[in-house]
Order: sequence, then structure tokens, then C-alpha cells
Amino acid sequence: MDEYLWIIENKDLLKVFYGLLIGAICVVIVVRTDRLFKISLHQGIRYFRNAFFFYGIAFIARAFIGLAFFTGYKNLNFFYSLNFIFEFFIIMAGFFLLYSLLWKRIEDTADNYSSSLFNSKIAIFYAMALIIVLLDSIWQETRIFLFASQIIVFAVATIISFANYRADARQHKFLKFYLIAMILGLTAWILNSFAGAYYAWANSFITLNVLILDAIIFLLFLFGVISVTRAKQ
Amino acid sequence: MLQELSNNKMAKKRERLDVIKDILKVIRDSRQIKPTRLLYASNLSPQMFKDYVDELLTKNFVKTEIDKNDKKTFSLTKKGNDFLDQYKIIENFIENFGL
Repeated sequence: MDEYLWIIENKDLLKVFYGLLIGAICVVIVVRTDRLFKISLHQGIRYFRNAFFFYGIAFIARAFIGLAFFTGYKNLNFFYSLNFIFEFFIIMAGFFLLYSLLWKRIEDTADNYSSSLFNSKIAIFYAMALIIVLLDSIWQETRIFLFASQIIVFAVATIISFANYRADARQHKFLKFYLIAMILGLTAWILNSFAGAYYAWANSFITLNVLILDAIIFLLFLFGVISVTRAKQ
Repeated sequence: MLQELSNNKMAKKRERLDVIKDILKVIRDSRQIKPTRLLYASNLSPQMFKDYVDELLTKNFVKTEIDKNDKKTFSLTKKGNDFLDQYKIIENFIENFGL
């Protein structure tokens, strides 16, 4: 219990280290998958890489938000800007992660975009993310639109990863962990929305559990990327 | 085989990577190969073969050269060689992450 109280008392400092840790995990995933993408030019790998690139930006922004709270820096513009960056990039990351599972059903083989970050299809994601962030800036305390969008994203991703798991789990072991990661992600977003909408962020226990769930998800992906890309090198 | 899978986009994409691997492997095994021999070895229709070769040239996996008899030949670039070396890892990654 003492440890729990210590965590609650030092939560802003821990958020700094937490954001940097997740950011570092994302850097490793992006570097590894970028190398695979450059060799294969495979669009799925490209979107997967982009997802973790954006997660990395979002969590590093979150680390700076923690740092601002910890040091007592009270510049509202700075805080709102970082909050905007965090929310925008975490939404985009979710979209890219889902799109990495869906692109085969949507894109034509003839589609060959020179940029996966700026093209007509991805522009829709940017527009949606921007609208969600703007709507949330009106109802700032709950982030209801962020949570709603991510719950939908992770619910669909869970269904797709379950279908992938059912189809091919014997041959490809990480599909099981991918499904677990998606279920944990969905749980984390539901808990997050509950903590925001019902407890107005006053329940540190839920918030702490969400942070633990998020850490497990990123560690699972790190484990998967390292173990699969390390083989036979 | 490819035509059988034409209604299934997922399978088609997977097959596409396999076709690329097969074409590159033939070129690597031959070091230099003439277009007609590569077409024969690839077991593709002329139109599909052209599409794949154009893609491989655009993506810099393959380069064209002129041999001593003034005939056009294909050979592998470093990027194409890297792709073949890493193919198993790439395939494993795509399958394990459902991409």
C-alpha cells in the first residue's frame, strides 16, 4: 500500500519516465520495421511503422506534459499545445494500426503512394483526427470523442486480429499475442473513458491500471517485433 | 494459380510477394538473364510479367544491362539481393502481425 501511495504522490514524475520509456520502445519498433519496409516496400509494414512512429510522438508529448506538471510550469498555451499533439497523434496512431490490418481489403495493387504519411486516403484520417481533437477541445474534461474513436478502432482491430488468430495461429505464434494486445488496448480505452467520464480523473487506481495495461501492450509489440525480426539474422 | 486467387485480395497480395521472390531468385541464380528466359522461368502471362518487371525496375530491385551480344539482360541490384536475403523474415513478420 505504501508503494501505491508513493506512486500516487509522484505520479507526474513517473509519467515523465513512463512517456519516455514508451517513446523509446516505439523508436526501437520504428527502426526495426522501417528497415523491413525499405527492403520489401510492403504497405502493411509501412502503416504498422507509421502507427508506432505516431505513438512515439504522442507519448513523448505526454512525458513533457508530466514534466510541466512536475515542475509547476503553468503556461496554458504550452499545456494546450502539448495536449493537442498528444491527442492528435494518439488518434492517428490508432487509425494507422487499424489500417495496417485493413489496407489489403481497401487498397488496390495499382495504388502506389510515394508517401504513406501524405496521400489522399490518409488525408481522411488527418481530417477525422483533427475533428475529434477540436470536438474534445470543446468538452475538454472528458475527452469523450478521443475515447469513443479509440474504442471503435480497437474493437474493430480486436475482431480482425481474432479472425487472423483463428485462421493462422498454429503457424504464426505472435497472432495470439497480437489478439491479446488488442483486447488489452480495448480494455485500457474503456477503463480510460470510465475514469474520465465517471470519476473526472479523480480515481488514480484506474489511471494507474491503464498505464500498466498500456505498458504491457507496448512491451508485447516490442517482444514480437524483436523476436520476429531477429530470426535468422 | 494467381488467377484462381484473383477474387481474394488477401491471398493475391501474399502471392504477389511470393511472385516477386521467385522472379528475383531466378535472376540471382542466373546472375544475368534475358527477358524471354525470365518470362519463361517466371511462369506468368506476358502482361503480368511486364507489370512485375516494371515494378521491380521502378523499385530498384532489378536493373537492365546490355550483354556482349548487345542483348538486354536483367540482373539483381543490392536492394534486390537484400530483399531475397530478408524474405523469410519479412514474410514471417507480415504473417505474424496479420499485415
